[in-house]
Amino acid sequence: MHKRLFFIFLFFLVGILASAFASINLSNNQSKYILKQIRKEITTVFLLKDFKLMEKSLAIPPSLFLRASTFYKIESQTKKIGYAIVVTAPSKTDVFEYLILTDEDLKIKKAKVLIYREDYGGEIASKRWLSQFVNHSSDHTYVYGDNISAISGATISVHSITSSINHLFDFLRVLKLKGNI
Amino acid sequence: MKIKIIMIFLLLISVNGVSQVTQPIKDNINQYSPINQINGYQRILNNLSGIPQGVTIGGYGEVLYNKPDNLNAEIDVQRLVVLFGYKFDDRVQFVTEIEFEHVKEVYVEQAFVNYSISPKLNLRAGLMLVPMGIVNEFHEPTTFNGVERPSIDNKIIPTTWREIGIGASGRIDNIGLRYQAYLFNGFLSHDGVSGKLKGANALRGGRQKGAESTMSNINIAGKLDYYGVNGLRIGVSGYNGKTSAVDVQNQIVGSEIGVSMVGFDGRYSYKKFSARSQYTFASFSDTDLYNELTRSDLGSEIYGYYLETGYNFLPVTNKQRLVGFVRYENFDTHHSVESNITKNNAYHRKEWTYGFSYHLAPGSVFKIDYQSKSTNSLNSPFGQFNMGVGVWF
Repeated sequence: MHKRLFFIFLFFLVGILASAFASINLSNNQSKYILKQIRKEITTVFLLKDFKLMEKSLAIPPSLFLRASTFYKIESQTKKIGYAIVVTAPSKTDVFEYLILTDEDLKIKKAKVLIYREDYGGEIASKRWLSQFVNHSSDHTYVYGDNISAISGATISVHSITSSINHLFDFLRVLKLKGNI
Repeated sequence: MKIKIIMIFLLLISVNGVSQVTQPIKDNINQYSPINQINGYQRILNNLSGIPQGVTIGGYGEVLYNKPDNLNAEIDVQRLVVLFGYKFDDRVQFVTEIEFEHVKEVYVEQAFVNYSISPKLNLRAGLMLVPMGIVNEFHEPTTFNGVERPSIDNKIIPTTWREIGIGASGRIDNIGLRYQAYLFNGFLSHDGVSGKLKGANALRGGRQKGAESTMSNINIAGKLDYYGVNGLRIGVSGYNGKTSAVDVQNQIVGSEIGVSMVGFDGRYSYKKFSARSQYTFASFSDTDLYNELTRSDLGSEIYGYYLETGYNFLPVTNKQRLVGFVRYENFDTHHSVESNITKNNAYHRKEWTYGFSYHLAPGSVFKIDYQSKSTNSLNSPFGQFNMGVGVWF
């Protein structure tokens, strides 16, 4: 039997080594990876190939559920297209990054989880579940368990993403009214 | 006395429930909406931010009161589990749970290293939970209704079922699928002195729990979870292999048996309504030889299922939840037996559980329920009243 065990172990070891070399190292190229993902999503959502992504520093204060955020304006040949926001929010023992794409009126066109670091709770990355945030006006309030359905086994991350989106749009709405974005 | 306790409990709930009126949401950037203020998580997350980076501390526990009809009550710190995690970098984490059972017994419930290559592929090795059914993996007291775990998750699936192994897990987000696949050490069927498996609870006595385990056979386990429909999560799990017996003993015919188990589970929630169900079936080979050798009464097929439905009586925007629930369980550890033992009808059990889970804050629950248990050999059911407090942080 030890021969069988040895081969199983070898199989896993080779797998680990191969994948370590083949895949991108998230910790070193994290921001590069995120930017690449934003560009990819903009291309699919707005059907654009040629566009400019401009980072704008906004004073969105962090909250318990919104640890950090980066705000980008999307423009195409001086025409305003919309906005891209990357948010860092907490999961049970770590944080995760998600992307929100909105049109010019702050209506969400896409929500996508970019990096999730825990084994449990990653179900929030489900395409179907995230589509619940799409196409509502910017003053829509998302309520966990009501207009946002629960996910068994992902309670904390679901709370986290729902609350941080509400928090984010509370600020963006006001900034838009003031003409700051 | 039981009625008095229930009255006090209901009174407490009504006072708290009424005082939980939600405030109107103000469009003011300096004020969070009440939906954003979830105190339980706030506390958890604030605590975590004070801990050095990379270290995670958490835990769960339950203190229970069980009062069978016409018998004395038992009060017990059933389990207290301390979780420690360490993140070496974004890809490598170590997770361990140290468990104190009934105050005086210490176990390690989980201890494994997780290597995350991508969301689609994680490799892990160490002492891990076997993915079978719902409660074996999601066993924190705030995640299930009822003071006691469902009986199926005791007699059919021997929760908390964990063994040392190696395997892979991952998610495919586009289709809403999570998979797990592991190689595990199996159950101990014979320790050289006596057989460890018996008719009443089948595999439960054979768990090795990673403590100086004997291994002569590799077992495989896997689970697929589908969560592509909002509010719904369904799972299918499988386990196949052979038990182990200690050295020398494993040369004796009948010391080891084959084990195959399959499980289906589903969880659904829509606004205030929730439901869950689980079905588990296992078949064992060579139980005739095993029973002959050990004078045990192990069945050759066991199965069990339960159906549960719950309703939250408080508004969904409240941080507190009061869930009333009903659960029906039907399980048989002598569904089928080999010809050399007789089928024991007392092993075919049916249980009704009615009760409330009052979530004081996310992560803290007070539970109360009444169970009515019957068997195929018993005409009148016997009852048990339970209360408990549970925490998860």
